[in-house]
Amino acid sequence: MTTSANKSIRAQSQTSAPDVAEENVVRVRGLVKRYRDGTAANRGIDLNVRRGEVVSILGPNGAGKTTFLRQLTTELKPTSGSVEIFGVNAVAEPESAKRMMGITPQEGGVFETLTVLEHFELFARFKGLRRREARLAAFDVADELGLGAEINKRVGHLSGGQRRRILIGLALLGRPPLLILDEPTTGLDPASRQTVWKVIRHVVAEGSTVIFSTHYMEEAERLSDRIGIIESGRLAAFDTLDKLFARLERSYRVEFSDPFDPLVEKSVRYFATFAEAQEHTASEQLSEYSIARASLEDIYFALTGERFVKAEEGEGA
Amino acid sequence: MKRITDILCVFRIHLARLRREAGPFVLAALIFPTAMYLFAVAVSGAEEISDEKRLRFLAGSIVFSLSMTSISWLGYLLLENRFTGRLKLFATLPLAPSSYIFGVIIFALAQAALGTTTLLIVARALGVRANVSIASLSLVVLLTMLCLCGLSVSIAARARSFSEGSLLTDSLGAGLVFLAPVYYSAQAMPAALSSVSKWLPTSFAASGVQTALTGNFQAGTELLALALMALVTLSLGFRLMRWREE
Repeated sequence: MTTSANKSIRAQSQTSAPDVAEENVVRVRGLVKRYRDGTAANRGIDLNVRRGEVVSILGPNGAGKTTFLRQLTTELKPTSGSVEIFGVNAVAEPESAKRMMGITPQEGGVFETLTVLEHFELFARFKGLRRREARLAAFDVADELGLGAEINKRVGHLSGGQRRRILIGLALLGRPPLLILDEPTTGLDPASRQTVWKVIRHVVAEGSTVIFSTHYMEEAERLSDRIGIIESGRLAAFDTLDKLFARLERSYRVEFSDPFDPLVEKSVRYFATFAEAQEHTASEQLSEYSIARASLEDIYFALTGERFVKAEEGEGA
Repeated sequence: MKRITDILCVFRIHLARLRREAGPFVLAALIFPTAMYLFAVAVSGAEEISDEKRLRFLAGSIVFSLSMTSISWLGYLLLENRFTGRLKLFATLPLAPSSYIFGVIIFALAQAALGTTTLLIVARALGVRANVSIASLSLVVLLTMLCLCGLSVSIAARARSFSEGSLLTDSLGAGLVFLAPVYYSAQAMPAALSSVSKWLPTSFAASGVQTALTGNFQAGTELLALALMALVTLSLGFRLMRWREE
């Protein structure tokens, strides 16, 4: 599925930074971003990402997720702190750092007069692929993202979801060792989302590292090795799903409705053990209820005080 | 080598647009300047108009066309790239901002070549007798374009919104033509305006184009002035165009 063209950037990064081969490929220290109007979007973020990991970044709207990712991708200059990508100081040498990265910005625009093939070919050339390699990589990426049938169509004739997949494809070209995707599946239908998940798993299996932000809990749970939750510009939590669950003192969730007024929104209570949860349903004589292990959404709620459904209503900041 | 490839790829991306919308591009490059030429001829008395005047009007129309290409349309394109998220795609790449600028300038030069050639053909059909020095005209067109493109890049890089940028580029594109002695001599202008307008790049461009249309290659002052102005505006454009936000 992957051509030698698509492997070229990874090979380049491995030869240029052999000392970090098994270590952290992304190192962020004390990252602060304060805008001119005084808004502190990131307030001292520290984070390491290991080679081959998939890291998702969650957080309520305006929490500072996109600001954080934009600093990683060198699009935004930090007020203070450091970002290292494969040992390269991304603040001082943004162009060198970008050679290691494939980036999908949250609000990237495509060129309506270009075809899908032209997009992929030309952008592969920017990434240093030769003409023939660029063409092969273009067909590869189009196939991977289910755009093979549209490859000769002008982008102006494609749907919003297809355009979004093109933006993801541009990041994949040349198989960079690090992918940074800002809400890659926002606006995609379920089938397209599955395709993107498959592609992410595939590139990780090939050795790439992926950092992405998302508004979908399921996506974060299914894809991530570690999950970071940003709240008010701080990294409130950053761990594996199991360890995040372990943070909850009460990890059993009872959801029940009022038997006398079923139209009222369901209530939720948390318990430390399954037995305690059962005891509660018996003592309250609940007839309609469910008992489940806490989900990522519950962790998110515990850390941010916000329900995730609320966060899904708008775009992240 | 990578830099040249980058510049050519930026050029090709924008050329695709010209290729697919060639009709409107040529029409737009032709309609306004030709209309202005005919208008200038009409108001100056079409019956007794001298060849020299016709050449001045043609030179004015060529400068008008260059101004529209480099400031109004290129400015629109750059603003569109910036405010529709396309510029972000370039910013995500290991691509120098200067490569992007050179790529779009080459695109504008291609448009200018197309527009100027078409205007010369139309002028010939309208009976204008010009003895064009191709080398001289090419040099004047190149330097004028570089100078005006620098302004366009600067505005597009700094505008706070699409509408603000469009207003600025449109005003500047037309203003630089109508405030300069392009269709008429400097003597015909009010003294105060004349003293300012003689320093505008379009004034030097009109004078240089007119010289080139008479077959002369003696536009040294104009070329030097345009080269200096191009250096200043392009330096400003390169300085202001940044991928990274502060």
